[in-house]
Amino acid sequence: MKAIFAIASTTVGEAIRRKVLLIILLIGVLFIVVAPGLGILSARSETTVLKSFMLGVTQGVSAIIAVILTVYMIPNEIERRTIYTILSKPVQRWQFLVGKYLGAVMSLLLMMAMMSAVMALMFFLQQQSKNAAEIAELLKGPMMYFVQMSLLAAVAIFFSTFVAPLVNFFLTVGVFLVGVFFNPLFQSLQDNQNTATLVKKAAWAVNTFLPNFANYNVQNPLINQNSAIQNEGRYYLGITVYGVVYICILLILGILIFDRREV
Amino acid sequence: MKRTTSPLLLAVLVVAFALQGFLQRTVIFDQWAKYYNPGKGKVLSTMMSPDQLLAVLAGFREITAGILWVKADTFFDEGNYDAILPLIRLVTLLDPNEIDVYATGMWHIGYNFTDEEQRSDRRYLPSALALGKEGCRQNPDTYELFFEEGWLWYHKIDDDYPNAVKWFLEAQKRPDMLTARKNLLGMAYQRTGEIDKSIDTYYNLYADAEGRYKKESAFGNHQNRDTLESNLDNMLVRKVQRGYQAETEHRPLNGYDVYPPFDVGFSVKATVVEPNVIRFEGTWNVLPVGTRIRVVLRDLKYPHAKPAGMEWDFSNDVNLDPPRDQTFMQEQLFVRNRRFNKKVDMSKDPTMYPFTSDNYVLEFYYNPRSAPPHIQDKFGWSGEGMTDKNFLNLNVREGQRVMFASLPITRDMIKRYGDWVDKTPVVKTPNYQESSSGADKDSDAVLKIPSLRTLGSSTVK
Repeated sequence: MKAIFAIASTTVGEAIRRKVLLIILLIGVLFIVVAPGLGILSARSETTVLKSFMLGVTQGVSAIIAVILTVYMIPNEIERRTIYTILSKPVQRWQFLVGKYLGAVMSLLLMMAMMSAVMALMFFLQQQSKNAAEIAELLKGPMMYFVQMSLLAAVAIFFSTFVAPLVNFFLTVGVFLVGVFFNPLFQSLQDNQNTATLVKKAAWAVNTFLPNFANYNVQNPLINQNSAIQNEGRYYLGITVYGVVYICILLILGILIFDRREV
Repeated sequence: MKRTTSPLLLAVLVVAFALQGFLQRTVIFDQWAKYYNPGKGKVLSTMMSPDQLLAVLAGFREITAGILWVKADTFFDEGNYDAILPLIRLVTLLDPNEIDVYATGMWHIGYNFTDEEQRSDRRYLPSALALGKEGCRQNPDTYELFFEEGWLWYHKIDDDYPNAVKWFLEAQKRPDMLTARKNLLGMAYQRTGEIDKSIDTYYNLYADAEGRYKKESAFGNHQNRDTLESNLDNMLVRKVQRGYQAETEHRPLNGYDVYPPFDVGFSVKATVVEPNVIRFEGTWNVLPVGTRIRVVLRDLKYPHAKPAGMEWDFSNDVNLDPPRDQTFMQEQLFVRNRRFNKKVDMSKDPTMYPFTSDNYVLEFYYNPRSAPPHIQDKFGWSGEGMTDKNFLNLNVREGQRVMFASLPITRDMIKRYGDWVDKTPVVKTPNYQESSSGADKDSDAVLKIPSLRTLGSSTVK
């Protein structure tokens, strides 16, 4: 356990020193700061636009950070040969992989927490809202995005055990887009009476077994608070457990592959 | 050294895989579909450019909707109305809380698709109503779309008033409804013939207005109270003069303004003057201006048709593609000097008037409930003071005395095909008589409209 945390904390230190990540984070924060000025886009819906834009920026920037942070993580260690120094010590390969992943997740947590804090501050300043519950409600979005990005980082870590970074980048982004797409597509196929049975079954299988990122897009009811969500806590708990289980699957698969790899 | 895979690890992997599938199917998906997917999966079947789609995927649903709506505005300015339809659908799917887009969309679909003579394409009306119903389902906490749905029934359809009342009542249940708009419920009740309910509505509104005026004696509050008082005053007088009270108590109507019923003497001749161009001429004995007789030309077997109208509310799906192989033309014939004469040109809009079927029907319809108050002062709210020895109809609209006439006409006649190339097709009611001088100014059958606050007058000289 000690080895895992040592690797994780080193990874966090590396992540916050990477200028490209800091620049992306800065751009994200700047976008959130200017968000109140975009209310002009929609008459009578300034608050809707404000929330939509801030949550969208937080999610988009977090996804970019998660992918860039993780696709290079293992290949860089191999390329710079620093992995030999680590594995020559009493550290198992699985500990190295899990430590790297946890480091990536902690870095994500730091960066997303910063964006969320700025978002809450801008919302408070723009709305003059002293209602803490309203701001807490808005922060449910980033909380679920964090689970989503942790899952995305696990996908990238899994691929990084056996493919080159560039290929990994496209694979991870592809899986993310399919994962975001698939819930709406699945429902479209299910609702459409003209869909062939075989296609419906294939859609069901893909929807059941591929990582489903759309589950975490909880922003719509947060932006338009007109409908009462029943069992909201159960849903959040369900998708969090789902995310953790899927992350475990990806890490185990990554460990199995990484264990057999010649480095 | 060959590495072996731990069976325990594989077992954990299989269990975890099964567990995530179980969670996805049983705990997550249904709730996601119910609460977190407002587009109901239809986003993918709409037209979006890749950059807009990416923006949506990245979480910018509302922003994308806002930008698309700005784009729709430019199409409005350019008069490119067809291009606006998919945008309206897309924006409402992306952001179902865009009330303005729903309201504007309903108006656009219901009113703006017109032919060269500015006649609405009524084949779109069921879609406009369906869009409004969807908007109400998505935004149940605000009155606006309920009111807009009611307004479409009241103003555009202008015939099926119980539906207008139903939606206005739904709107009134929402606390954010503007006071000024509540008056319309009283008007709608008049058009359903529920006069006591109309008066009750005005009394309630008057009490509210009085309360507001006592609280704050601002000019607006004063004016609102006075307007309501005037409306209420008129209603009470009309209720008496039009014999409503006597009618509800089953007493004879002698002595009231609606007695004896006045024969409107309807007759019509429809002449196909050119292919797809029909001239309607006819008589209507009411001298005061304000009479509009509805004419409908439709496929004999137009789906969901009813006499001089349609069962407009048949769909809950917003289908922006109306039945393009069917024709439904509706126009108003304005009466002047007791005659009407109007040419309806359907030759320039083949998509709106395709005339693909063999048989059509011309329908003529007059309903006193849609008439202006000065005509209703004689005819009553439900046609008690109106009759027509040839075309009075008590069946096509339940509980109402309306004028209704129908004439068959064929595609060959309308398009001047076959035998009709050199022969002018004419269809007319048996009682139609040619008149070179227009109105018969010396006729005795001139309707006198009774005045308010006067003794009941004899209505026929």
